[in-house]
Amino acid sequence: MKRNTKLLRATAGCLAACAGLWAFFIWRAPIDSMQGPLQKILYVHVPCVLGAYLGFALTAASGALYLWRRDERFDRLSAASAEVGVLFCTLVLLTGPIWAKGTWGRWWTWDLRLTLTLLLYLVYVSYLLLRSFTEGSERAARFAAVYAIAGLTVIPLNYFAIDLAGGRTVHPENLGRGSLGAGMGAPFALGMLTAFAAFAHLLVRRLEVGALRAALDRAEAEAMRREA
Amino acid sequence: MSFALRTQGLEKRFGPLVALHALDLELAPGSALAVLGPNGAGKSTLLRLLAGLARPSAGTLEVAAQARTRAAQRRAVGLVGHATFLTPTLTTRENLLLAARLYGLDSPAERAARALAAEELEAVAERRAGALSRGLAQRAAIARALLHDPKLVLLDEPWTGLDARAAARLSQRLLAEKRAGRALVVVTHDLARAAGLADRALVLVRGRAAWLDAAALHDTAALEAAAARAVARMESER
Amino acid sequence: MSALYAVLWKDLVSEWRSRDRLVAMGVFSLLVVVVLYLAAPPGVGPEARAHVPGLLWVAYLFAGVLGLNRAFATELENEALSLLALAPVERGFVFLGKALASFVLLLVVQLATAIAFALAFDLDLWPVAGRLAGVAALGAAGLCSVGTLFSAMAVRTQYREVMLPLLLLPLLVPVLLGAVRATNALLLEGTLPWPALQLLLVTDGVFAIVSFLTFEVVLDE
Repeated sequence: MKRNTKLLRATAGCLAACAGLWAFFIWRAPIDSMQGPLQKILYVHVPCVLGAYLGFALTAASGALYLWRRDERFDRLSAASAEVGVLFCTLVLLTGPIWAKGTWGRWWTWDLRLTLTLLLYLVYVSYLLLRSFTEGSERAARFAAVYAIAGLTVIPLNYFAIDLAGGRTVHPENLGRGSLGAGMGAPFALGMLTAFAAFAHLLVRRLEVGALRAALDRAEAEAMRREA
Repeated sequence: MSFALRTQGLEKRFGPLVALHALDLELAPGSALAVLGPNGAGKSTLLRLLAGLARPSAGTLEVAAQARTRAAQRRAVGLVGHATFLTPTLTTRENLLLAARLYGLDSPAERAARALAAEELEAVAERRAGALSRGLAQRAAIARALLHDPKLVLLDEPWTGLDARAAARLSQRLLAEKRAGRALVVVTHDLARAAGLADRALVLVRGRAAWLDAAALHDTAALEAAAARAVARMESER
Repeated sequence: MSALYAVLWKDLVSEWRSRDRLVAMGVFSLLVVVVLYLAAPPGVGPEARAHVPGLLWVAYLFAGVLGLNRAFATELENEALSLLALAPVERGFVFLGKALASFVLLLVVQLATAIAFALAFDLDLWPVAGRLAGVAALGAAGLCSVGTLFSAMAVRTQYREVMLPLLLLPLLVPVLLGAVRATNALLLEGTLPWPALQLLLVTDGVFAIVSFLTFEVVLDE
């Protein structure tokens, strides 16, 4: 536990620093001439995308590691990163439409990226439901790992699928070189850093909860054994 | 082939619950082990581990010295569980045919016919498995378990629900299989039958094993007493 | 490999004896066609009918999910699933046998549904029948592969009937999009676009491989 508290403090510190800087730079950033102050929500939206996809990659990777090594800790990491990742994904799906309504006048469109992210969200939610509804933590860990692996393979497939269906380019193209105005680079970069720091911090917290739960289960099992 | 079954530190955990604590066990061909103990002690878990249905959390398990892969180990084992594993919509013969094909046997139809004959099931060969009585279904399950000539046969409370004649018949069959060189592991509450069949016995209490003295297997009363002592001792231990 | 045929034989024989899955899938599919017609009646002219091929795939999808929900239902009685798990083979072959059985059943239902669909929506499917069958088969293959994998999982969870579609549908998007695109092109233009077929083939391949390899772990207790 002591190690975790240190890690917790370290990630919290990082997060505070990044977030502070980030907020400052957002406040200082110039207001976009066309989109107005609403554009600043993108400083949140884009970094959250990092968290969402990173979360799922981590979920699938640690699931695969669990199947290989059968170490419970990999399964805990899988569960934790799924929960943190789905949080980021929710933020993406909330901030995006808010920006869209203000800029394009519509809440939603079946553009490639939106659809992909929505699908990712559905896979996340199904993963979490599978975990809840499977009886037996060992079986849940196995099934969840298999589902995460299957879900991960489908993301690149979906990219081509939606592309094929013509779900394209309403979504603003990525931040290529020089596509940002002056003074916008810093908040974006800091945003990515902050997202990463936030992900790490939340992950550590969630892992701690997972470890505590496991310890509690063990203590309960032990207590029941003594009573019997 | 030196041993039919060998485990070292075999353990099974379900989350925080340890269903089976590190178990060391070696069984020679042609010998029989009785596994006794109260309900929920982990006896069925042990059998399912040995059968390859569940993966051990720790420790090693070797079945029939030369089996290398999990699949090869399953090949050497026959399991008679609580349920019969029979598909109700298929006939008895078809169920055995299915098992023969699943185990990749040559001339599956012939093997199925022989298995039917060995358990005297020809009369109900064409009856749907769902329509068999408990006793007949159990015999079909035994036929299925022995079909592929396994070196190790695992039985989970096989005498439950059988009438006296069928139970005696089963004991005879198991003794015959023992003499033919198969190793047996039998989970049972029926101490009389265990005493008549087994060479060794162990008691499982909350996943921990205690070996009983071989002498206790000479008669039912001795076995009962020894088992009760072991259970009491383990339950009082912390 | 004999295990594959053994499982396939068992499922098809069982199904032939009771025919419950087939009938349920068939009747349900027909009902879906009727409902779709009532909910989204095609107008006159190409634009008004552009969505029609997609509706066919809605019917196929629902029938497929219904059938897959029952794929392991017979194995629950007498713990017959354990017999499959005991088989001394790579469990992926058991998966293939099961998936193929569902595939065969779905193909039959797809044929009947296509006929009903053509009647209801006034379509002439005959000129593209062969290629349409091919697309239907590719879609069914994708559906039945991960569908069988998830069915084996869902059958051991609470809310098993709900669990399967929840797990399956997000992953079927590439299959659905490819199949609808191809069917669209077939019915409206008489062509079969290679990118759509490519997507279907790749997806089917990936799904088959992932399901084959992970089935070992799914059949453990």
